[in-house]
Amino acid sequence: MKYTALLTSMLLSASSLAQAQSTLTLWHIQTQPGAKKIIQDAVDRFTKANPSVKVEVTPIANDTYKTKLKIAVGANDAPCIFTSWGGGPLYEYIKSNQVLDLTSYLKKDAAFKNRFVPASFSAVTFGNKVYGIPSENTSVAVVLYNKALFKQYNQTPPKTWDDLLKLVAFFKTKNVSAFSLANKPRWPGSMFYGYLVDRIGGPQVFSDAVTRENGGSFANPVFVKAGSMLQDLVKAGAFAQGYNGLDYDSGASRQLLYSGRAAMELMGTWEISTIASENPAFAKNIDFFPFPAVAGGKGNPNNVLGTVGDNFFSVSKSCKNPDAAYKLLTYLTDEQSVQGRVADNRLPPMKNLKLTDPVLIKIANTVARAPSVQLWYDQDLSPQLGQLHLDTSQALLGLSTTPQAAADQMETLAKKLAK
Amino acid sequence: MSLVTERIRPQATLIQQTRRSNALVAAVFLLPAVLLLLLFLLYPLLANFRLSFVEWNGLGNTAKFVGLQNWVQLVHDPVFLRAILNNLTLAALSILIQLPLGLTLAFMLDKAGRGSVVLKVLYFLPLLMSSVAIGTIFKNLYDPNFGPLNAVLRAAHLDGLARDWLGDPALAMASVILVVCWQNIPFYMLLFLAGLSGMPAELREAATLDGASESVIFRRITIPFLQGTIRTALVLSLIGSLRYFDLIFVMTGGGPSGSSEVMATYMYRTVFSGFNIGYGAAISSAMFVIVIIASALTLRATRRFETEV
Repeated sequence: MKYTALLTSMLLSASSLAQAQSTLTLWHIQTQPGAKKIIQDAVDRFTKANPSVKVEVTPIANDTYKTKLKIAVGANDAPCIFTSWGGGPLYEYIKSNQVLDLTSYLKKDAAFKNRFVPASFSAVTFGNKVYGIPSENTSVAVVLYNKALFKQYNQTPPKTWDDLLKLVAFFKTKNVSAFSLANKPRWPGSMFYGYLVDRIGGPQVFSDAVTRENGGSFANPVFVKAGSMLQDLVKAGAFAQGYNGLDYDSGASRQLLYSGRAAMELMGTWEISTIASENPAFAKNIDFFPFPAVAGGKGNPNNVLGTVGDNFFSVSKSCKNPDAAYKLLTYLTDEQSVQGRVADNRLPPMKNLKLTDPVLIKIANTVARAPSVQLWYDQDLSPQLGQLHLDTSQALLGLSTTPQAAADQMETLAKKLAK
Repeated sequence: MSLVTERIRPQATLIQQTRRSNALVAAVFLLPAVLLLLLFLLYPLLANFRLSFVEWNGLGNTAKFVGLQNWVQLVHDPVFLRAILNNLTLAALSILIQLPLGLTLAFMLDKAGRGSVVLKVLYFLPLLMSSVAIGTIFKNLYDPNFGPLNAVLRAAHLDGLARDWLGDPALAMASVILVVCWQNIPFYMLLFLAGLSGMPAELREAATLDGASESVIFRRITIPFLQGTIRTALVLSLIGSLRYFDLIFVMTGGGPSGSSEVMATYMYRTVFSGFNIGYGAAISSAMFVIVIIASALTLRATRRFETEV
């Protein structure tokens, strides 16, 4: 009796061990049917070629995912393959020795790596080591605008900040808000700040402040200037009422565009496909232009804020079968997956993409022209600084802090964290 | 002498024995509950206090002991102080609005008797809805551009009153508190209804015979009779307000610029968006201490009130 129990428990543990060795867990956030299927199809191709390996795929909704992954990793129960946005938050995981360095795999597999746009690895490269594979999309912030409304009032997209302010004043006389902004989640407003910093001082100002190199500092006058220009825009009445309390996820900013109450929105290019599926009749009125230049500014007006690769797959250190995990990554970004994503109106970060959709082509050209692609501030910064940046940019937009105070707050925390 | 002891001894041991076995039985019956409490209440509580002394991003074995640093930072943190103030405002307004209204509704429904069943169900409805649903509904009602609230105000030519309800730092907290009240009044109504139904009809009859007016009956009999219930409601409302989270998280996320931040939303943001576990643990431990002190004070204060009446 005793022996049987012992034997069963041994058998049980042996089988669970065997299972652990041949099971890969994969967490991702593509919950839309199309995007989800592309991943599932790639997994199916992988398991067909590698029948000894089982893959458990778990799609998780965006916001819950961030919390869930953190708890799973903290409890030493990380999935084998997980998705991230690169940048500061991913670096937290890397610092805690949770993410597998993929450099050696990619070195051996140059043909695979060279298919990607080189810039796409920048958000997942730390100290010359690559910790992720870019997969889903290229999204940059652009100014979406209502073509029909512009035509009706005989206006053209502004090239410079001064043009923009004139446009704001013009729309005000027509009782139309220049911009719709849904800044409850705080990251949509952060895009204005990020672009202003770039246009005034060039991309180096922010990256030096982040790395604390070349005397970089968040108290740099460029940040203060960006804050005060942002507040100029607010004071000019550029934003539709309620901008700091509207919820982006429930579509509050798009409602304003649809109803013609607002003429423009600074947003990631993903919103173009959101509009296409949400309001196809309105979608033909939508076009976009790059964030305007600032007179006398150092930043190239072709620079963009956004992400090349959006959603990067990484392998966790605790994965029992890293070789198989890497192999699965190559399936997730293979040619078939890439074609699937293009068909699903996304722009995977690959070279020589064959595009037919005019909007996708325009986005691709915008990115190709850009001398610098700065990752979203809140994703590039370490989590604590990122949160403070979001708070201070929302406060700047609400006119409840001064540009100097916001910059000083950032610098104080950056100094403290750098210690 | 010896006779007495002989007679007493067996009896004493018998009592002792029954006492001992009674204690044993009690212990056995209490054990599961005590074990569960220790495991799921006391242990996490202490573990949380321990976490408040480290600096940790929550991933891997990178926790660093930093002593009282988190606590020192906490007492100087303007965001946290603002959050406490918001919690206290919420508590004060909850008690001042929810309890009297709940009591009034309960009193009227109780008087109306059987005829009020439909109203009882209607008033009870908000309590059955999930906070996320309520938050989403009111977010739409409050929407400054398309929301019915501003539309009604404008239609009534009260344009001056149409506001940016959730986006204006001066209004966001008040706007949310109104919704919190809307959601919770039915709970207190129910609590007081239960209290009232326990009131013997003879009390009221006797008072009426003695010529007491309605208001005197209410003040002199009903209120004192409900004393225990009122105390419970006070403490529940206070504790609930001090650890409040859901509607604020759904409707404003603590914003704009921290104007509606409460301790719990600040803790959540610190831990889950800021990866700052140690500081988050300090916030939640401080919350625990504040709630304990506040409820102890309330219980004490209301006990004195009880003896005076």
